[in-house]
Amino acid sequence: MKRSIYIFSDGELKRKDKTLCFETKEGKKYIPVENTHEILIFGEVTINKRLLEFLTESEIILHFFNYYGYYVGSFYPREHLNSGYMILKQAEHYLDHKKRLNLAENFVSGAIENIKRVLIYYANRGKPLNETIDKINSIALSIKDCESTEELMAVEGNIRDEYYQAFDIILDSEHFVFEARTKRPPKNRLNALISFANSLVYTTVLSEIYHTHLDPRIGYLHTTNFRRFTLNLDVAEIFKPIIADRVIFNLVNKSIIKPNHFEKKLDGIVLNDKGKQLLIQHMDERLRSTIQHKRIGRHVSYRQLIRLELYKIQKHLIGEEEYRPFQSGW
Amino acid sequence: MHPTGTLIWYYYICPREVWLMSRHLTPWQENPFIEIGRLISKESYQRDRKEIRLENIVIDLLKTEGENVVIGEVKKSSRFEKSARMQLAFYLWKLNHLGIEATGKLLFPREKKKITVMLTKEIEDELEEAQQKIISIVQMETPPPARRIKFCSKCGYQEFCWS
Repeated sequence: MKRSIYIFSDGELKRKDKTLCFETKEGKKYIPVENTHEILIFGEVTINKRLLEFLTESEIILHFFNYYGYYVGSFYPREHLNSGYMILKQAEHYLDHKKRLNLAENFVSGAIENIKRVLIYYANRGKPLNETIDKINSIALSIKDCESTEELMAVEGNIRDEYYQAFDIILDSEHFVFEARTKRPPKNRLNALISFANSLVYTTVLSEIYHTHLDPRIGYLHTTNFRRFTLNLDVAEIFKPIIADRVIFNLVNKSIIKPNHFEKKLDGIVLNDKGKQLLIQHMDERLRSTIQHKRIGRHVSYRQLIRLELYKIQKHLIGEEEYRPFQSGW
Repeated sequence: MHPTGTLIWYYYICPREVWLMSRHLTPWQENPFIEIGRLISKESYQRDRKEIRLENIVIDLLKTEGENVVIGEVKKSSRFEKSARMQLAFYLWKLNHLGIEATGKLLFPREKKKITVMLTKEIEDELEEAQQKIISIVQMETPPPARRIKFCSKCGYQEFCWS
């Protein structure tokens, strides 16, 4: 299994013959390309065109994050898997209102199912969450009446509000309270964790899309504006609860992440380097952990599960098999 | 629509692969078996001429032995011998139509094994039929349904088919 490389230090990333080399004041570090799936850059890193050419050849995506940990953008190398047929199918399902709505509905209902799984998991561990689950169930009833993706987004937003309120019940920590969802900048530690973890899910899905025949610019729930990636945001909805949120709960409940892993910046709160590293480390472990997959007949990692989800979408677009979003089993 | 050598190869393994390949929905490239195959064809027989393109066929290697033209197809293993034979026979048949008489050699460098392939009337008839079938598979609106066969476990499409 290929690895994700995370760069926190400042230095120069360059091509060295057939490998990558990261050079800092302390010394050189070689990164073998055959084992590299994607590179996430958090430090101040100098790159050149020769490097980008080599990354394109090696089919490796670069994701950039700024000093505060916000996602800046990606170097998405030229498509290496081209299927005009798939692009047409993707466009067809975008342009046809009913087809688009059907896919968008699936992303929302998939997200809600997995949100409920998370809540049920903690309800089974004695957390008083039944009221939240009931509320979510009743809001979810209106999904089938939605006639536009905007309405769907609104329903999802309402459900997420209920869900985030429940974070305080799940966490029960004086240092990590939810208050309200705040982004750019997050106003408290929990929001900082949510924002950072979500952006890691977005980039992970994007990296997986790169290895399929799908075009990340054509999304269905999130409005395509033809210049930024949106399909990864759609698919991430399904995985955020079971990957990002579950990791956050573990980190806080086991006191792995502490108030001193945060700093006050730009009238908001952001994770410091140590905090980012801790979250990344646990997210990476989560993505590499495996579950038994019935149809494939062996264990697959969460990262692979994301790719399988993309394959299911492809099969839906081809007209072979109606898409059903992944549901966590526990 | 003109079937290619690759489609002939896939046809004798799995019709679903034919359909997917015809849409350029290529298999998962990080599948270890695909990577090994790619490496073997890159590293083997480096002294002989490689990758000759003729119309819509790509011949791995071509050499002359005295009067004879010999074309070679490099494969990872003889597990798919039938497929490999028919793919190479298809190239011989194509060359034949261009007025070139040739013999074929299937090369399995890892197994240190070579198999000679000649064009016969039966093989030509079989190729004719295969091409007709390939065309009808490709014309289908949706791919032939996934069916579990002994090749699935090492196939680059397995995650796609069984996701």
